[in-house]
Amino acid sequence: MAQKQINILKNIRGKKCLVIDPKLSGSLSLIVQSSQLKEHGAELRHLTTEPVETDCTKMVYLVRAQLNLMKFICSQIHNDTLKGLQKEYFLYFVPRRAVACEKILEDEKVHEMLIIGEYPLYLIPLDEDVLSFELDLAHKECVVNGDTTSLWHIAKSIHKLEFSFGTIPNVRAKGKASTRVADILNRMQAEEPVTSDMGIPEINTLILLDREVDMVTPMCSQLTYEGLLDEFLGVNNGAVELDSSIMGVQQEGKKLKVPLNSSDKLFKEIRDMNFEVVVQVLRQKATSMKQDYTEISTTTQSVSELKDFVKKLNSLPEMTRHINLAQHLSTFTSKPSFLGRLDMEQTLVEAQSYDVCFEYIEEMIHKQEPLINVLRLLVLFSITNSGLPKKNFDYLRRELLHSYGFEHIATLNNLEKAGLFRKQDSKSNWLTVKRALQLVVEDTDTTNPNDISYVFSGYAPLSIRLVQHAIRSGWRPIEEILKLLPGPHSETKKSGFASSPSFDTIPGSLNNLEKVADGRRSLVLVVFIGGVTFAEISALRFLSSQEGMAYDIIVGTTKIVNGHTLIETFVE
Amino acid sequence: MAGVSVAAEWQLLYNRYYRKPELYQMQWKHVDLTRNKVACAPFGGPIAAIRDDAKIVQLFAESALRKLRIFTSSGRLISETVWKNPGGRLIGMSWSDDQILICITQDGTVYFYNIHAELINNFSLGKECFESSVVECVFWGNGVVCINELFGIFAVPDLKNPRAIKMSDCNLEDLPHCIAVIEPQYTMSGNVEVLLGVGDHVLLVEEDGVQQLGVGIGPLQKMVVSRTGKLLASFTHDGRLLVMSTDFSNIIFEYTCESALPPDQLAWCGMDSVLLYWDDMLLMVGPYGDPVRYIYDEPIILIPECDGVRILSNTSMEFLHRVPDSTVSIFQIGSTLPAALLYDALDHFDRRSAKVVYLYYLNASRNYILMKSFSSSYLPLGYENLRLIRSSLSEAVEACIDAAGYEFDISQQRTLLRAASYGQAFCSQFQRDFIQEMCKTLRVLNAVRHHEIGIPLSIQQYKLLTPSVLINRLINAHKYLLALRITEYLGMNQEVVIMHWACTKITASLGIPDASLLEILLDKLKICKGISYAAVASLADKNGRRKLAAMLVEHEPHSSKQIPLLLSIGEEDTALVKGIESGDTDLVYLVLFHIWQKRPSLEFFGTIQARPLARDLFVTYAQCYKHEFLKDFFLSTGQLQDVAFLLWKESWELAKNPMASKGSPLHGPRIKLIEKAQQLFSETKEHIFESKAAEEHAKLLRIQHDLEVTTKQAIFVDSSISDTIRTCIVLGNHRTAMKVKTEFKVSERRWYWLKVFALATIRDWDALEKFSKEKRPPIGYRPFVEACVDADEKAEALKYITKLTDPRERAEAYARIGMAKEAADAASQAKDGELLGRLKLTFAQNAAASSIFDTLRDRLSFQGVS
Repeated sequence: MAQKQINILKNIRGKKCLVIDPKLSGSLSLIVQSSQLKEHGAELRHLTTEPVETDCTKMVYLVRAQLNLMKFICSQIHNDTLKGLQKEYFLYFVPRRAVACEKILEDEKVHEMLIIGEYPLYLIPLDEDVLSFELDLAHKECVVNGDTTSLWHIAKSIHKLEFSFGTIPNVRAKGKASTRVADILNRMQAEEPVTSDMGIPEINTLILLDREVDMVTPMCSQLTYEGLLDEFLGVNNGAVELDSSIMGVQQEGKKLKVPLNSSDKLFKEIRDMNFEVVVQVLRQKATSMKQDYTEISTTTQSVSELKDFVKKLNSLPEMTRHINLAQHLSTFTSKPSFLGRLDMEQTLVEAQSYDVCFEYIEEMIHKQEPLINVLRLLVLFSITNSGLPKKNFDYLRRELLHSYGFEHIATLNNLEKAGLFRKQDSKSNWLTVKRALQLVVEDTDTTNPNDISYVFSGYAPLSIRLVQHAIRSGWRPIEEILKLLPGPHSETKKSGFASSPSFDTIPGSLNNLEKVADGRRSLVLVVFIGGVTFAEISALRFLSSQEGMAYDIIVGTTKIVNGHTLIETFVE
Repeated sequence: MAGVSVAAEWQLLYNRYYRKPELYQMQWKHVDLTRNKVACAPFGGPIAAIRDDAKIVQLFAESALRKLRIFTSSGRLISETVWKNPGGRLIGMSWSDDQILICITQDGTVYFYNIHAELINNFSLGKECFESSVVECVFWGNGVVCINELFGIFAVPDLKNPRAIKMSDCNLEDLPHCIAVIEPQYTMSGNVEVLLGVGDHVLLVEEDGVQQLGVGIGPLQKMVVSRTGKLLASFTHDGRLLVMSTDFSNIIFEYTCESALPPDQLAWCGMDSVLLYWDDMLLMVGPYGDPVRYIYDEPIILIPECDGVRILSNTSMEFLHRVPDSTVSIFQIGSTLPAALLYDALDHFDRRSAKVVYLYYLNASRNYILMKSFSSSYLPLGYENLRLIRSSLSEAVEACIDAAGYEFDISQQRTLLRAASYGQAFCSQFQRDFIQEMCKTLRVLNAVRHHEIGIPLSIQQYKLLTPSVLINRLINAHKYLLALRITEYLGMNQEVVIMHWACTKITASLGIPDASLLEILLDKLKICKGISYAAVASLADKNGRRKLAAMLVEHEPHSSKQIPLLLSIGEEDTALVKGIESGDTDLVYLVLFHIWQKRPSLEFFGTIQARPLARDLFVTYAQCYKHEFLKDFFLSTGQLQDVAFLLWKESWELAKNPMASKGSPLHGPRIKLIEKAQQLFSETKEHIFESKAAEEHAKLLRIQHDLEVTTKQAIFVDSSISDTIRTCIVLGNHRTAMKVKTEFKVSERRWYWLKVFALATIRDWDALEKFSKEKRPPIGYRPFVEACVDADEKAEALKYITKLTDPRERAEAYARIGMAKEAADAASQAKDGELLGRLKLTFAQNAAASSIFDTLRDRLSFQGVS
């Protein structure tokens, strides 16, 4: 992929100005180093409404196929034309050309001035086991605008994967978007069959899940280490950015990017743990190191023991890094407001004290707490109650408009269309779902967890419970519960692999058929349409590591989200 | 020994044998080669014949109009057409590599015919040829060179891209004795080179120069270049055959003929010998030894091939070629080579008991053991032979297979293959695929050689031509069934055959109704997976069969191919449905824009309103780019609330407009937009809330505008109601704050929060205290505590903490300002053990949290590692 981007630049001779869609530049940085771009004579800019000031006569635009970006490009070209500047323009769409975008270019009479190409980047690996389609707005576009472009994109990405890993024999989908993706994928397989003689496909099962099915989980505050980092500091493209002073580097006001991925061994070990436990683990590690140090300096040691010690010293920078980060996080987690919020989330999920919740949220509005924080709880409140009684609904909407401004009518309208904050029209079935799927688990042991509920200290994410069932036994045993959740569900099995295991394989029966040739476990690809949180990924990793699990789990998502970023997409 | 009769038909030229088996008895009747101009295509291609207008011939019972007729190599008529082209006499006629018949008339027009005698193209060699007639031309596979009356030389280097170029002028005063051409692919320059026999030498003419070669070797009467362009055979005025390299650097051999009369035809036979044909004699001359003579009592035409020469006469087609080594090794008289012995062994074996034969077929390897166990007296004679050659058996098998490949006679092929197979049974390490491969090849060759098809390819020609070109030729000849069978047999892609068939079928089936033709087509198209139905449909459309096209495109599985075609044949509604089904929004947009452009707005609106995805995509696009048009759409579909939302949104766009500085008259239009929106909301029954909100918004803007005027501060417009109240309080304007409160019916609860926070902001603690005493606050004293705690005013906070009625709240408030003891007291007063525990924990954690990490860091900061 990187080569492809370099080639685009190589093929355009001479100095050029590469104007990148800002949303793309983060994800592209995971693939191509910006220094590499400079090597090929490219000056790097972000595409905004502002005209680009440059001496280059060759402009290379690299953008997602988004309508509003076309307007920016048109105005920049118009601007150059007005100034009498003659330039060559190249436009590369990611991942492919779009009729609607080109229509705007045609109407603005710039289409003929452009040389148009494609940069087929459909998905980006964020980590060993996480793939992202980088579709930030997928969820909102689907549920609010009815624009299902992203669904085709997702199906296409999965279909492309199939060309390397073989046709996925089992597909289980829940939710309107998911079943549609399964459907489109099916059509693609018919149009362009994956001709493979690879034998048993590496990916045994595809589970597709709409974010819409479980909007409760992302609204709750994540309590895993990585989840908390995202909640408070915002993890972007596998890194957090923070003041260098926090990391113990004395450079005034300078921002520092701290990479967070599984190549950091310590991070790999602790990222999925509950934060409480992370603190303990770090303390233990530091203590044992201190001990080693005292021994080293007081007693005579053999060379091999010295060597071991030095080896441990190598992990010191990682230790320091995470201790710094953890300390920084704990300044947030120890705040009473955070603890109060956790309490309220728990109360909302338990859904048994309507008035307490109502008053808490009302007070938040009156205190004009940040809108997104209010909306997060409000959405949680609305979903667990299947909407609010009309009187309360109208009252809270009015209070919101009064407190935050009337322009938020659009936000409220979006949330209503998405079914996230709405009028009650039926009795809530949340309690039934909660009970049937054991979403609230008493006495969760966060240190030695035996259930996924550890990631939210007592709440087991609904989405992952569904995945758990889907892997274990397919949808059939929980069909009654699925019917209580939004959207249809589907389950298909491709014939052609006469020997593929049936749905009803007993969990843990690692039969030979599920093993890929070289003894690795076969894979389950879990795709979240509308985003997934780090806590949910952690829960999946936990499932994958359980004894008796027959599969490795790979996560695909439109974007890594948290309650904040998810709500943000609805705010206009 | 074996094959006496076979070798008897060979002729020996020095040390090499030649043979000329008859390929066909010509199936045509009354074709006299002498009366016709004839062009024969190599690789067993077709024969074109037309009455020669350069000769005076007697007309029998035939029309005076000339007919161009095209035959297969077996003399079966493929097609004919009346020659009506103007332009004077036909000067040259030849087949190109693509089996296009090229005809050049006197006026320099070049006509292209396909094998169905259909004129497919023509072009002119240019003005000079038009004005001064073309007198002679020399062709090669992909080009032609002409000379006109004024001795100008013109070349068409690429017939696929026909364009004449003039060669360099060589100031001739007379027509050259002879002309030959070296094809561009064999010249150093990559451009065509023309050799002219002039005077006693040869001129080499190129586009940009003339060179004199071989002075004194001529005059040359005839020249012909070998197939690879390296050698030139020529006939001199004094009756000598000269073979030399094309650069005239050395003469390879020379042969003096009995007659000085130049031969009618001069041709290369493969690379080894040269053929000269006079009236009734064909002379084959090789570098050594005596030439071979053949006598013909009827006219013949020599057709050079890569491995020999085909000889066409009025009645037959023969193939003169060197006998391959493998065939010689088997059939040469007296041969005792292993291959000959093997062939002989089969002969003996065939004549032995049926039992052995049966056993042989039963299981070759078991047979071997069986035979070994026979007592020697029972040993079949064949086995004796096999024993003789045991060590070189595989070589013998190979020779038999190879020889079979060169045979045209099917029974001879069979015998040779059986000999090979017989030998193979005794030969453990032999590659069994060889026989299979050869059988496959021969089946294909025999099929196309059949006189109905009439393509007499030798195995070497077949390999040079390649199977896919052969398939294309069969397709062009409309031999679809055979082409399909061969592609299937050889495991080649059948798409090209089916596709071509479908196209021809559609063109040829004007009389067949759509439905039945569709059935016929589908029946065949389904043979080939992944074939493009869209391509066939597109062709049907081009043939004016739109309905058939629509029916065909229905079967196209690729939406991306199907939809553009549906649009081009005017099936927009179907295209829209298919686009939506495909899930590819890009295709939906494609259809959308197409319909948008084509239909009146209202009709367009109706179309998309019925299809949610199309509608949603349109709205998304229009929201970004065609705002006004979107309003029309919503109005036409009665979605007044959506128009209202749009108007409301516009009012904010106005606000964002930098021209609209705050407090400017632009508020007029803004408010009007909002009021319009409010009106629209109120027209629908379900949007009372929005209607009220819009009303309030308009009212708020007015109030804020007035406030900005009175306070002379542009800080109110576009803040929320709550913010406006807070700003007023901060500014000390309590009366206006109160007015806004009543105007918008702000609840007491919210009012208390707002005022408390506003007062804390300006740190007016006295006013705050006064406010707390106005009346019993509706939400208690907690807001007061919070405001003071947030402002870090512990003393102020304490004033209100004591007033908190709920001991739990009190406990937590104490805790927040760090008064642990009081907190604990309050908690115990509340008799809430859980709370107490939690508070303790909070304290512990808070203290511990920092100390823990401090200690951790201390521990790690040794020896400069950090």
